Amino acid sequence: MRGADRVSSFVLVVFALVAVNEARKLRLGNLSSPGPGFVPLCLAVALALVGMILLWHALREPALPAPPAEPGARWKSVVSLAALVAYTFALEPAGFVLATAALLYFFFRVLDGQRWWIALASAVAVSLLSYLVFARALNVRLPEGPWS
Amino acid sequence: MELIGGLLYGFSVCFTPANLFACFVGVFVGTLIGVLPGIGPVATMSLLLPVTYAMSPTASIIMMAGIYYGAMYGGSTTSILVNIPGEAASVVTCLDGYQMARQGRAGPALGIAAFGSFIAGTFSVLGIMLLAPPLTSVALRFGPPEIFALLVLGFTMVTYLTAGSKLRAVAMALLGMLLGTVGLDPILATPRFTFGSVTLGDGLGLVPIIMGLFGVSEVLLNIERGVTQEVFETRIKGLLPTREDWKISAAPIARGTVLGFFLGILPGIGAIIPTFISYALERRLSRHPERFGTGAIEGVAAPEAANNAATGGAMIPLLTLGIAPNVVMAVLLGAFLIHGVQPGPLLIREHPDMFWGVIASMYVGNVILLILNLPLIGLWVQLLRVPYGLLFPLILLFCIIGVYSEAGNVWDIVVMLAFGVVGLLMKKYGYEAAPLVLAFVLGRMAEESLRQSLLLSHGHFDILVTRPLATALLVVALTVMVLPALAPPVRRLLGTVGEETGT
Repeated sequence: MRGADRVSSFVLVVFALVAVNEARKLRLGNLSSPGPGFVPLCLAVALALVGMILLWHALREPALPAPPAEPGARWKSVVSLAALVAYTFALEPAGFVLATAALLYFFFRVLDGQRWWIALASAVAVSLLSYLVFARALNVRLPEGPWS
Repeated sequence: MELIGGLLYGFSVCFTPANLFACFVGVFVGTLIGVLPGIGPVATMSLLLPVTYAMSPTASIIMMAGIYYGAMYGGSTTSILVNIPGEAASVVTCLDGYQMARQGRAGPALGIAAFGSFIAGTFSVLGIMLLAPPLTSVALRFGPPEIFALLVLGFTMVTYLTAGSKLRAVAMALLGMLLGTVGLDPILATPRFTFGSVTLGDGLGLVPIIMGLFGVSEVLLNIERGVTQEVFETRIKGLLPTREDWKISAAPIARGTVLGFFLGILPGIGAIIPTFISYALERRLSRHPERFGTGAIEGVAAPEAANNAATGGAMIPLLTLGIAPNVVMAVLLGAFLIHGVQPGPLLIREHPDMFWGVIASMYVGNVILLILNLPLIGLWVQLLRVPYGLLFPLILLFCIIGVYSEAGNVWDIVVMLAFGVVGLLMKKYGYEAAPLVLAFVLGRMAEESLRQSLLLSHGHFDILVTRPLATALLVVALTVMVLPALAPPVRRLLGTVGEETGT
């Protein structure tokens, strides 16, 4: 996993340097009366330093050949994430019940490989049931969509 | 006498139907999610935060606390039967618990875990009752410098007692504090790192971050890798441990309780570390250390007692100082604040019904758990057979509902998904999420208290070392930092813990 350590610590350092740059734009103040930028700048600089030490450790180790790909499927998590992002932005225009039924149908049918009518029936049932439980019984705020 | 009066008052609060029901729901849901891998107490409590709007403040805290210690009970069941810890504080229970199950002794293992948890839970409630009121008077003398010193101690604990790489833990803690500075500056309300966004102007929410790092990332990882569901096929018989079992386990349970309780009080420890230390301690004290790892009952009893006692200990800083010593308590703090109640030294005087009611409910909850767990273990085992293809969409759905309903803002879901990806990468690259979240919560308080201290002292840093309480706390923090280097035995103890658990 040494190659992975190089990547992860490099990302940390880059993130920290971006934060340093952003924090410098804020008023720093001085030691006896620190301004809004003082603590963020200290934290960002410290994170950059720690990240560099981690990177240095990772670089000193010989790079091992990439570990064999983990069993399983990365596409599944990528596709799920895409579906979740689409769902997030469909939530308010389409309303909770419709958007949720569509999302669940996708998960049951595509990822779990259920037959289409089982997937559809369970998606609609779970979506309606969760709406009734959360929005009606527990008074949780959920977007109604065009059916309000 | 004041104590007994308070406790009796607490029971009268707790035994009202609404509060008793809240207690039951809390421990039941807690056991449920403790059994299910992939969703833990932190995510569940965040999820149920909006539900508590409709409840009375006391009932909601009773329910939240119930979820936490209920999960500690439930987590051990999966560790013993399936060798999968239902949540992180039950990792150590796998070592001997699963071996016992393989030898056909699943019953006594589950039994001793439940009894050990019950005994430890009961004693830790007693501990809170005895320690919280006197500590409240100390806490009243806490000003910004003392709070800052206590938080420094918390950070040192988080990073120096972490099981994995300390440098990585430091990196995650710094990252968490940095993320905590997003939003308005606590003293002057200057926007920081907001990039002109209204959502970021309020700061990153704790709930989306927690749900992303602990809920979504776990689901994504399980989707990629697939979950193997093999329930140990054995008939569970004879839940009651034998007299011999009790003889072996009594002292380990007692030591685990004391250790867990006092470690739990310290900020930054949580319920996980005490289980590791307690296991290592029992092995060291045992006359037959070679039995450990092959199904030694005290290897189940001691850590289970320790994690339950730690949940009680962790309530103390929250109730007396209003400081969250671990991530779960941070969510609980959120639950207090939602209802406009500020936990802290004034809680016992201003809201005695809450203070004593919650304490009494923990006692009642432990009894419910014991009754609930022993006969229902068969049901929990069945639950493990629910296919993951059905379970994970539900977990995701609950995360989304929980995050959205807090403010009705879809961007909070986006933040959660983003932290889901971050959490997935952290898991893959071996970074821990707990230091990040804790530092996120404590970082804001630390900055505020530091800057308030400097305002108080007109810019002189010596305010941190001229006040005795603050100085004492900083000295302890320094000791924690240098102790591992000075005392090889301690280092060896902590070191062997890491090796034994393969972390």
